[in-house]
Amino acid sequence: MTGAARRDGWVGYAFVGPFLLVYAAILIVPLLMGLWISLNNADLFGRREWVGLANYAQALGDPVLGQAFANTLTLTLLIVPPLTVIALLLALALNRATRLAAILRGVFFSSLVLSVTIVTLIWRFILTPDAGLVAVGLGALGRAPVPFLSDPAYVIPALAVTTLWWSLGFPIMLFLAGLQQVPHDIYEAAALDGAGRWTVFRRITLPSIRRTLLLVVMLQTAAQLQIFGQAQLLTGGGPGGASRTIVLYIFEVSFGRWELGYATAIAELLFGMILAVTLLQYWLVIRHEEQRA
Amino acid sequence: MSGLELIDVSKSYGATRVLDGVSLAIGAGEFVAFLGPSGSGKSTLLRIIAGLESLDAGEVWLGGERIDGLAPGARGIAMVFQHYALYPHMTVRENMAFGLVNAGVPKDEIARRIAQAAETLEIATQLDKKPGQMSGGQRQRVAIGRAIVKKPKLFLLDEPLSNLDAALRGRTRVELAQLRTRVDAALVMVTHDQSEAMTLADRIVVMNDRRIQQVGTPAEVYARPANAFVAGFVGSPAMAMLPARVAGHDGARVRIGLPCGADLPTAIPAAAGLEEGAPVTLGLRAEHVTLAPPATPGLPARIDLVERLGDRTYLYARLSDGSEIIAHAPGFSAVRPGEAVTLAVDAAAAHVFTADGTAHHPGPRA
Amino acid sequence: MKRDRLSPLVTVLLLIGAAIMLAPMLWTLLLSFKSNAALMADSGSAFAPPWTLENYAAILKGSLTTRWLLNSLIVASGATIGVLVLSSLAGYGFARLEFPFRRTLFVIVLLGLAVPEQAVILPRHQLFAWAGLHNTYPGLILPSLTGSFGVFFMTQYFRAIPKELDEAALLDGASRFTLFRKVLLPLTIPAQATLGVFTFLAAWNDYWWPLISATTSDYFTLTVGLASAQMNYAQTSGLGFLMAQAVFASIPILVVYIAFQKQIVRAMAGTAVR
Repeated sequence: MTGAARRDGWVGYAFVGPFLLVYAAILIVPLLMGLWISLNNADLFGRREWVGLANYAQALGDPVLGQAFANTLTLTLLIVPPLTVIALLLALALNRATRLAAILRGVFFSSLVLSVTIVTLIWRFILTPDAGLVAVGLGALGRAPVPFLSDPAYVIPALAVTTLWWSLGFPIMLFLAGLQQVPHDIYEAAALDGAGRWTVFRRITLPSIRRTLLLVVMLQTAAQLQIFGQAQLLTGGGPGGASRTIVLYIFEVSFGRWELGYATAIAELLFGMILAVTLLQYWLVIRHEEQRA
Repeated sequence: MSGLELIDVSKSYGATRVLDGVSLAIGAGEFVAFLGPSGSGKSTLLRIIAGLESLDAGEVWLGGERIDGLAPGARGIAMVFQHYALYPHMTVRENMAFGLVNAGVPKDEIARRIAQAAETLEIATQLDKKPGQMSGGQRQRVAIGRAIVKKPKLFLLDEPLSNLDAALRGRTRVELAQLRTRVDAALVMVTHDQSEAMTLADRIVVMNDRRIQQVGTPAEVYARPANAFVAGFVGSPAMAMLPARVAGHDGARVRIGLPCGADLPTAIPAAAGLEEGAPVTLGLRAEHVTLAPPATPGLPARIDLVERLGDRTYLYARLSDGSEIIAHAPGFSAVRPGEAVTLAVDAAAAHVFTADGTAHHPGPRA
Repeated sequence: MKRDRLSPLVTVLLLIGAAIMLAPMLWTLLLSFKSNAALMADSGSAFAPPWTLENYAAILKGSLTTRWLLNSLIVASGATIGVLVLSSLAGYGFARLEFPFRRTLFVIVLLGLAVPEQAVILPRHQLFAWAGLHNTYPGLILPSLTGSFGVFFMTQYFRAIPKELDEAALLDGASRFTLFRKVLLPLTIPAQATLGVFTFLAAWNDYWWPLISATTSDYFTLTVGLASAQMNYAQTSGLGFLMAQAVFASIPILVVYIAFQKQIVRAMAGTAVR
């Protein structure tokens, strides 16, 4: 550091202080409070009774949470891989400087600015059996409408499709940004070497955007493990819990049953799970990179 | 002394020492160049004077006032940065006014100074442009203008020519030479280019390895380098350095023997460290080595490279033992690489450096 | 970016994809222009006239929708201004000033990027209840200000500005604060725009927190208000009205999206480069 900077002393705190204050009070304090609340039999109104790890023990034996966990995992697996592949393909197709590509980029990005409420509102009346767009289309073909949101067999895929439609824009943007970081001369060199399209994609493009790929998968996995609004608004977790997700269950336990301690314990478990999955994905890719290097 | 004075300035970054006991006095109105390779400490020294770096020990005085404890803006110093450091979002006028506004100079005085500086620097029509709309040479003039309007006691120039292409460099050199006539201040320029320093400065401070190696006028530094480093750094092409040995003494003068067998009578007075048999380095500038006329004695050599500059030609050659030497020839020499030649050496102009780097120069002609 | 054109096959596939993206939005738009009664009979009638503006008139006349719109504007703007101010100050501090524990604090701030909302939202709800912040604008705005991303983003941006500018300003006698406000801050305007749009979108669309913090309909944001409307209406009885609400609620955000598309894309892309 320069001498001029060394003379600053504590002046720096005048600049970083305001943020740190908010950060400590509204993020760090709740984070620590959460750990403590999860060890208590607590309700929304301030009752606290120390129970140690009992909430965590209860969570591990809770069949409803088990089902919510399975639903969340299924949704994540139904959403993340197709989302990643579709977004990558679209980014590859749209990564060019033509007018049509620019317009199409705008179209594919557009849904991401909508809030979850709007998205579910729209999709409710696409999927609803008596008046939805799909029903109208099926009716025109002389087919019976399908009750997507009330049939246990359809409800998870329906949520997945809704989420895919909503979430497509962000990964496309990330991939486009990643693709534009690939130096152009690599492609020119590959063309001089007579590489075919598939070879170029597999040997040059894909390795070059490895980190973007990791980021997309990491962010989307973390996001879908926390999937909440779509399930709450479209199905309320029904029918019979067939679409209840972990966060929806946290919401129900805390604001329906007022069991704050138990809800917080589940939230801590989810936090741990997200952290673990993220680190695992990161480690897998980084380790792979190191082996190649 | 109303100029700049440095007393025993030292500076370390952690365990790395970058300046070691530097002392220097610069007169008011003097133009001094800090010359040295990168890592020599010259830029750090400049930044310490400006107050952009702190010093660990020592004092800095300017105009009779001790300034090393003052904030950079309170020192009465202006600086032209290597990349100009113009504020990109301000117009030229705002760039020049910024420091004056901070100093509380009255508005009409600011306007007057800017108008005057813009006039002399011929940027009066550019005052409402932003730096991004100007060429490199214009930006440099704005940077100089921004410094001039502050009426500083000391002007600092950080590698002022390194950022310019060859054509602009020549023009800007002229401008910098004029600058000193326009300002009533001492000027300190940092450069790694010895020709810039030789051209512009009244005195050159040659720096290397955390220390000042020599302070002197361009002529002194060139003709009587204080040590082997200065000899090798100043002058273009660089002085050739040949391993040698003291062969004996001709009266009060030292005779030098080269590994190729040549025996050269120099004009260097005998001195401690120059006893017979002592290993030394012989320093020869290209202008003192020529092609020997046919059938005259000299040093046999083979040509490696021929550098033709039009008015003269430099011949990079190797003696029979492999040591490198540079000769010059007038005009456009027809010598080709690989050719065997005989070189004539003006041994009376040779310099000798002992193993510890101490320089011995020719004495008055006997 | 490549300059060559798309092959016909890819073009057709892309157009089909675009149609799938747009169809739900157009369907919503059509429904919003039909009377509730007509839709009760047959929602397929949306494809044919007569269309009407009565649903939009109803929104502007009586419902709480305009109040929710105002709430959303206040909350999203407050969050945006707050994040810009805090992140710029902190970004400058972390990028340019030397102070005790700087590195440690920066790492702690970065770790915040890894904390999902779930880990803090319930205790935060308790904390805000204790502080009496529920059903207030500060209560809705404050959680947006804890985002580490803005600080990280601005720190990177400040770091990329050449240090020579700081030094020139110091030699020009500028104080640390003058240097920040007059020299460096104006240079971060592109970053401010990017971060601002990003924050505005996130705050506007946030659902979880306003859902549990704003419990009286006077403090609903549009997102929460529409959710409550969605749950309260029998499925198709007010379909046209509901869809008009959706369109109405989307207009501001679509305006922001279209006006700032470049900044949004850059903001999103920025996360990829880290």
